[in-house]
Amino acid sequence: MPILSVSDLKVRYSTSGPEILKGISFDVEPDDFFAIIGPSGAGKSTLIRCINRLVKPTSGKIMLYGDDVLRLGARELRRVRRSTGMIFQEFNLVNRMSVMDNVLSGRLGHVGNLRALFRQFSRQDIARALSVLDRVGLSDHVDKRADELSGGQRQRVGIARALMQDPKLLLLDEPTSSLDPKISREVMALIVEIAKEYRVPVLCNIHDVKLAMEFCNKMIGLQDGVKMFDGPTSAMNEGKLNDIYAMEVL
Amino acid sequence: MASQDTLSVSEVTPERTWRRFKFPGSLYRYLGLLAAVAFLSLSVNYLNIPLDRFLGMFGRVGDLITDRYYPPDIEYVTDPDYIASVIETIQMAYLGALFGMLAAVPLGWFGAYNVSPSRRFIYPIARLLTMSARAVHETIWAILFVTILGFGMMAGVFALTMFCIGFAGKLFAEEIEAIDMGPVEAIRATGANEFKVMVYGIFPQVRVAFTGIGIYTWDVAFRAATVVGFFGAGGMGWYLKRNVLQIETQRVAAILLSIVVLVLISEAISAFARAKVAKAK
Repeated sequence: MPILSVSDLKVRYSTSGPEILKGISFDVEPDDFFAIIGPSGAGKSTLIRCINRLVKPTSGKIMLYGDDVLRLGARELRRVRRSTGMIFQEFNLVNRMSVMDNVLSGRLGHVGNLRALFRQFSRQDIARALSVLDRVGLSDHVDKRADELSGGQRQRVGIARALMQDPKLLLLDEPTSSLDPKISREVMALIVEIAKEYRVPVLCNIHDVKLAMEFCNKMIGLQDGVKMFDGPTSAMNEGKLNDIYAMEVL
Repeated sequence: MASQDTLSVSEVTPERTWRRFKFPGSLYRYLGLLAAVAFLSLSVNYLNIPLDRFLGMFGRVGDLITDRYYPPDIEYVTDPDYIASVIETIQMAYLGALFGMLAAVPLGWFGAYNVSPSRRFIYPIARLLTMSARAVHETIWAILFVTILGFGMMAGVFALTMFCIGFAGKLFAEEIEAIDMGPVEAIRATGANEFKVMVYGIFPQVRVAFTGIGIYTWDVAFRAATVVGFFGAGGMGWYLKRNVLQIETQRVAAILLSIVVLVLISEAISAFARAKVAKAK
């Protein structure tokens, strides 16, 4: 059974505005590292944000862990969100908090309001945060402020925060676009390793086709809100890429 | 020749033209300016400001000060009773600013359009509360609370609280509306409820600005506190009123002087503290 199943997803930001997604359907299986590729403005970010309803779709159906995401009440939606890790292009860390507090904020879906207010996380959470920070290679930066770190380090904090959620699915919105080519490769490789270790499927927006071809095992090609390709990376070829981007890519 | 494929400035044909303000827009600009000038002349005309009286003002100010207000009765303002009223004023400003800001933080959060927990219900209510607190002048609040609570410090503290809610609530909301929404989205994506989003995604971004606004609010509240006493709401304003009514002009001069000095001091402290806060990124 797929972890995530999207069918006929349509999105408009305003009733008179253009249709950003024009009926997208696809399934994510437990072992998938799924890339969503396509030119700017194709609707990649919108698609990713629909999965945990940061963007509310106009119509369609999203089944995530067996829940119909679009029909959930606020409380159930938070329950689904807390099992879904998300990593962002601009890292979206809280710059004025320490690395540790940023990582611990991944547990916010699990702690009570009072504990959250006074930052009283449980010992298990703190132990888990330390081991996750070890895993992403930031054990020397625990008490630094997030804005003291370099871009690559910040994205590692973002990864650690997502891992704190004990996610059943990782949503990645252009995780490497703010990084230079070398760091991009390192971060992408780290995410792939971690996805294997934690046995968590990944849905990843990415515009770097080379990185996508190298690291992902399945792909969706979007163009102008329409799905142009859906299949294993091995089935992707130059001709299809050129179709998706409407130009010669490689 | 290398210059053949580059176009020098003198070679550009002068027929190509460009205007910063294009036609209908430029017309509206001039009409707006015209209306402003017309309204200014109309107001001056309507008020019938007698320029000769205005020009003679400075001489009369001089006479007034030398004849009646000089020398200020410094002894009067060093009297323990008066000093006690000054301390009462400072305490009133402190309490009013504190209570006002405690109420203004949630109001600012609810009244910030980008993060308000409910745009349809909570946002307009929060805006309405903040605006009503702001719309009524602090002296009117003072009169109102003196009527309700009777003379004394409590009425003053309530009046200043209302004043600070209006003052800080608006500034807090504006500060929150200018935050980076990225972290807010990220915290929301972890499954946090709106309260936790406030504590982790919003508040750290505005904490320093809020501290600065808080100090400024206290400073403004202190200035307001010197006046609310005029209406019986406690503090040094009462002394001012009594002496004005009794035409004790030299005492009035001393009280005014003491207010100026105190406001200068509070402004200096506030400027110093805000500079410190601004440095703490």
